[in-house]
Amino acid sequence: MSAVPNRLPSQLRTEPFVVELDRFQGPLDLLLHLIRAQDIDIFDIPISQITKQFQAVIDEGIDRLELDRAGEFLELAATLVRIKAQLLLPRHDEEEWGEDPRAELVRRLLEYEFFQEVARVLSDAEAERRRHHGKGYVEPRPQPVAVRGELTTTREDFLEAAIELPEHVPEPTHLAPIRVVTVEEKISAIRRHLRRAERLLFSRLFRSWQERQHVVAALLACLELAKQQVLRLEQVKRFGSIWIFAGENPVESTQNDTAPDPDAAKTEGEELAAVETEA
Amino acid sequence: MTPDQIIEATLFASQTPLTPVEIARADEGLDVVTVRDALQRLRERYDEQEHAFQVYQLGDGYQVLTRPEFAPYLERFDSVPRPPTLSRAALETLAIIAYRQPIGRIEIEEIRGVATASVLRTLQDWELIEITGRGEGLGRPLLYGTTDEFLDHFGFQSLAELPEPDELPVALRNTIPQMELEPVENGAGNGASPETAPSP
Repeated sequence: MSAVPNRLPSQLRTEPFVVELDRFQGPLDLLLHLIRAQDIDIFDIPISQITKQFQAVIDEGIDRLELDRAGEFLELAATLVRIKAQLLLPRHDEEEWGEDPRAELVRRLLEYEFFQEVARVLSDAEAERRRHHGKGYVEPRPQPVAVRGELTTTREDFLEAAIELPEHVPEPTHLAPIRVVTVEEKISAIRRHLRRAERLLFSRLFRSWQERQHVVAALLACLELAKQQVLRLEQVKRFGSIWIFAGENPVESTQNDTAPDPDAAKTEGEELAAVETEA
Repeated sequence: MTPDQIIEATLFASQTPLTPVEIARADEGLDVVTVRDALQRLRERYDEQEHAFQVYQLGDGYQVLTRPEFAPYLERFDSVPRPPTLSRAALETLAIIAYRQPIGRIEIEEIRGVATASVLRTLQDWELIEITGRGEGLGRPLLYGTTDEFLDHFGFQSLAELPEPDELPVALRNTIPQMELEPVENGAGNGASPETAPSP
C-alpha cells in the first residue's frame, strides 16, 4: 500500500481513458488497464487508489452504457469497496485476518489477463491464416437480387415522405353530436337569402357546416325550388361555382320566413336555429 | 497414374480440408500410411518447384492453400472468400473455451466479468464452438467446446499449439505475470502458423 506513487490522482483527471469506458471489454479489462497504465504491482494493489480511479471512470461514462453492461461495472466497483473496507478493519492478530482480502481479485485479474494474452495469440494466428487462400471459389452468379434486406430507399424518397407526413396527421377534431338538417330548413334559408339578394352561391348553403348531409339537403332544396321555378341554377363551366338566382315565381313572404329577416347580419346557422325553434 | 497423382487430384478438387482417411477412399490401393507418405512427397515437390501453393494441415485434415506472400494479389478479387475476423470479445471467449472445455456459460462469464450469451451464439453460428454436453448442477447447463472449424480458422493442427495450456493462472499466482507470459507469446507465434510442416 505504501508503494503508491503520489502522482496518480492528478494524472487520472487528465488521462483520456476517463471518457472511453466503451472501449473496455468489461470491468476486469478496465481494472487491468488502470493497473498496467500506472505500473502497479498486481500483488500489492493500492485498493483505495484504484477504487477511487475506477469509480471516477465509471462515473464519467456509465450513462452511455446499456443497463446490463453498467451493472457489470458497478458490481466490480462494489467488490472493490468491500475489499477496501476489509483492509480497513482492525485486525487483532494475523490468524484472524487469514488470506489477504485482495487475493481473490488478484487471482481473477491474472486469470483474465492470461486469456487476454491468448486472445492476442489467436488474433495473430487468425491474421496469418487469412493470408492462405483455398482453391479459387467463385460465387455463383448473383441471382436476380436475392438481396438480404438491403435498403433501397433513397434520400429523396425519405425526404419526400417526411415532407408529406404532416398532411397525414389528422387535425384534432372536436366531435359534437350532429343535428340532423332537413330539406325544409334549407328551403327556408334559400328563400330568405333570395329576398335579400339577387343571387346566392350554392356553396354558401353548407359552407359553415362542411357536412355531407347539409350538402345533400341544400341540393335537394335547390332542385325542389327550381322545379317550383322559385329559383334557377346557373353554372358557367363544369365543376365551376353554382349560382342560385331568383326564379320566375317570386319568393312570397310567409310568416315563417320573414320572422328572422330584419336581422340581416345573422349567420346562416343562427337563422336555421331560429327556423328550428319556430318549427 | 501414380498414387501421388490421385492424392494430388483429390486435394486439388476439394475446397475443404480432407483427412487421410477421406483421401484414402479415392482408390482401393490407398491407405492412411501411403496417403501420409504421399502428402509429404507432395509438400517437398511443391517447395522444390516453387509452387505458389502448398499442402497445409488444418486440424486432422489437409488442404491445398496459397502461400501467404500471394495474399495481397488475391485479395484484389472480390471472388476470393474472406472469413470473418473475430471481435475481441469473441477471441477472449474462444480462448477460455479452448483451454477450459467443456465449459458452461456461467464459468466463462465469471472469468470475463461480462455477459457472454450473444458472443456464444455468434461463435456457434460460425461453427467455431459446439455444444459438447451438459454439466452437473442446477439446470444442467450447456457445455461448449471448440470444433475442427476452430482449428481451421486459426490454422492450427491441434489444440496443443495453443500456448502453455497447463494451469497457467495458478502458476502465475506467486510470480510477476509479465515475466511468465512472455515465453508463452513467443512460443505461440511460431506454432500458430499453418506453414508448419504437417506432423506425419
